[in-house]
Amino acid sequence: MEFKRTELGANIGFTSIIDEKFKTCSVYVRFATRLAPAEAAANSLGIGALSASNSKLRSVAELNERLSSLYGSALGTFTRKRGDIQILGLSASWICSRYSLDGEDIEGEMLDLVRDCLFSPNVQNGEFDATPFRITKNDLLDHIDAEMNNKRSYALERASETAFAGESAECPCYGTRKSAESVTAADAYAAYLRLLSTAQVEIYYVAPEPNDTAAEMFRREFAAIERHPQKFPFRAVSPAKSEPVTVTEEMDVLQCKTVLTFKSDSDDIYALRVLSAVLGETPVSKLFLSVREKLSLCYYCSSRYISSKNTLTIDSGVEKENIEAAENEILHQLDEVKSGNVTDEELENALLSMDNALAAVGDTPSSYSSWYFERFCDGTNTDPQQQAALYREVTRERVIAAARSLTLDTRYYMLCREDNA
Amino acid sequence: MEKNILTSRVTGDSCIHVKHPSGLDIYICEMKGFSTVEALFGTKYGSINTMFRTSGDADYTTVPEGIAHFLEHKLFENEDCPVFELYAKTGASGNAFTSFDKTCYLFGCSKNYTDNLRILLDFVQKPYFTEENVSKEMGIIGQEIQMTNDNPEWRVFFNMLRCMYHAHPVRIDIAGTKESIAKIDAPLLYKCYDTFYNLNNMALSVAGNVSADEVLAVCDEVLRPCEDKGLETVFPDEPDSIVKPEIREKQHIGTTIFHIGYKCLPCSGEERLKKSMAGSLAAAILTDASTDMYVKLLESEVINSTFGAEVFCGDGYFTVIFSGESDEPERVREALLGETERISREGIDDRIFRRIKRSTYGLLIRELNNVDSVANLMINSHFEGVAPYDAIDILSALTADDITNFIKNELRSDRVVLSVIEKDGGSQ
Repeated sequence: MEFKRTELGANIGFTSIIDEKFKTCSVYVRFATRLAPAEAAANSLGIGALSASNSKLRSVAELNERLSSLYGSALGTFTRKRGDIQILGLSASWICSRYSLDGEDIEGEMLDLVRDCLFSPNVQNGEFDATPFRITKNDLLDHIDAEMNNKRSYALERASETAFAGESAECPCYGTRKSAESVTAADAYAAYLRLLSTAQVEIYYVAPEPNDTAAEMFRREFAAIERHPQKFPFRAVSPAKSEPVTVTEEMDVLQCKTVLTFKSDSDDIYALRVLSAVLGETPVSKLFLSVREKLSLCYYCSSRYISSKNTLTIDSGVEKENIEAAENEILHQLDEVKSGNVTDEELENALLSMDNALAAVGDTPSSYSSWYFERFCDGTNTDPQQQAALYREVTRERVIAAARSLTLDTRYYMLCREDNA
Repeated sequence: MEKNILTSRVTGDSCIHVKHPSGLDIYICEMKGFSTVEALFGTKYGSINTMFRTSGDADYTTVPEGIAHFLEHKLFENEDCPVFELYAKTGASGNAFTSFDKTCYLFGCSKNYTDNLRILLDFVQKPYFTEENVSKEMGIIGQEIQMTNDNPEWRVFFNMLRCMYHAHPVRIDIAGTKESIAKIDAPLLYKCYDTFYNLNNMALSVAGNVSADEVLAVCDEVLRPCEDKGLETVFPDEPDSIVKPEIREKQHIGTTIFHIGYKCLPCSGEERLKKSMAGSLAAAILTDASTDMYVKLLESEVINSTFGAEVFCGDGYFTVIFSGESDEPERVREALLGETERISREGIDDRIFRRIKRSTYGLLIRELNNVDSVANLMINSHFEGVAPYDAIDILSALTADDITNFIKNELRSDRVVLSVIEKDGGSQ
């Protein structure tokens, strides 16, 4: 694998990852900006409109017809939240030209398409063309509404709204439905222009063979844009509340959901990450073995560490009458770590599992792109092997200290309505 | 042991197939440059296999709904220790799944793959069921059932199947119900295990950073030869008709979702693969974003970008399912009925056919770009009774008339089911 990162302009990174094993080429363009309630929905719609049409393919139908004629090439946009930062982007992938049946230059055609979508959007009189924009907006509104369809992720999002109240991370990544409803085609285009000018831009090109035209295209296009990049911290530690806050919501569900959010005042992110693995990220973790296997209270009970907010979250799905027992056991297992009850075996199991996951980075184009973008956000340049070594340096004492650094901040309960329970 | 090299004529990709003396079919794909290994050890035994016998049985045995899935959970409990503890020593990520027609045990790893393969092959051959450990699992699986019942995508799919199939067990939930799993006990699990976990009814698929010789050496060491017991599974007679054309349910969700399923005639082996490819192309053409039907539905806000379609088929069942989010799913059904009628009458535009065929070819190439998908492709193909690269060959032979005929003969207006999970604003 050949890895090379170059700066194409002010705060515009271009990373080329060449790995001959792939049969596809991929481009990921990410814009990072502060997550702000007033701008989140407009940003999301500004990016979203790019994959609905462009100045040459002026409708959803034309753009999709082009993609399918290029051997089912994919082009899409995305919005997500990383702590207090909103990450917006466009990704595209296609099969290598050597697999074309009639000698087409799929690579060249797709790079042109990516260029047109990003730098020549379907805009008239300072606003996105009405029909594709309306389709994009309807899609976003439906997407926001549909978040409730997945009860587990909905519960986690609702818990994070309370845990990060008053911070940027409180805002949903797409903004609220109300704010999205009010965004016009002109607002969305203005938001996109603002992203082009001010966002941190990171571009990843993953392919089996080098192709200088990709970097040249992005360099040329960004050179025409007046850049005023704004830098934001990718990590904003969230302070613990003086008393834990409890949020309860009743819904017509058969299974209740619980989310416990803990805040840490420790900077030892590697120890916190190992702690999360020991607690609840594997089938031999403390929570899996106790809450699920020993007490048979649930199907899942998992933890995750969010380094950008220095927060650890534990969630589970349980019967209403078992909520208290499950929560007591979760807190008991955490207390076990705090009091030093972490065996060498538990630590080694967690590290082996993390080693395994890290060694898998690079087996898909998206894993390369995600890995190097996350490291960029962390301000490090470690490869997966170096990261594994940093986890290996974490001692039992550091894990115990990490556990002791946690303070319960938020309890979220999704309860079954009485007539459903 | 003869190693058969299976090669794609189109892409040049290849894998190895071995019929092991133990009775097991083994597929290995050495993928140069990849770091990970994915292995699946599976049996052709899923939730639909509720009635069976072997050559030694006088009568058929009928088992409770959800037992294949229950067995999958329990096999992770060795007599000595839970299987996850064994994987924990190597760092591998072990898991399993039960579908309608198969149960697979798998691991993914980037180190120690021969040790992991030894664990996988060994524990699946060593069942350990007791009344105590069976009873313990009831609560965990009960919660899994509750979780899936809260999942609107799951509900809309099974509601559709229940309206489509009168008797075929594809209509039952893979995990069963709390009531059905209460009937499961250790002797019944052993009965199912002894019947279906015979190596002659199983396959091993290993892909990624592996050496075929090393994989086969572990197989030689760990596999215990099995006598072919002449397994016979049967399904109740299933009429061609549907049960009822529509079902609606309310849930506390944010968007109304729908499945529109066409009940098609089932088939098997290479015929099923060919029919499945024709069905996939028909589905892709009917949901193609450049067609008049799609554009009208999208621009009138009847559908959004979640609208899509897929073929769902197996032993005794075959459907094409159109799904998405819509407040007016009956208008989607109406549009599909109109479009299938039009295509049946006028045929498919050759330009659209060639474009969609090319797009499907691209998707099949992508499938070969990933360790997990190659491992799944090999085992799925085996259980389907075809070779891993047959799909690309079959695709290249399909004509526009094949697709028109599929639409005309299989997407029949009297065999459509509309299943809807409506958002219930409820009171919060």
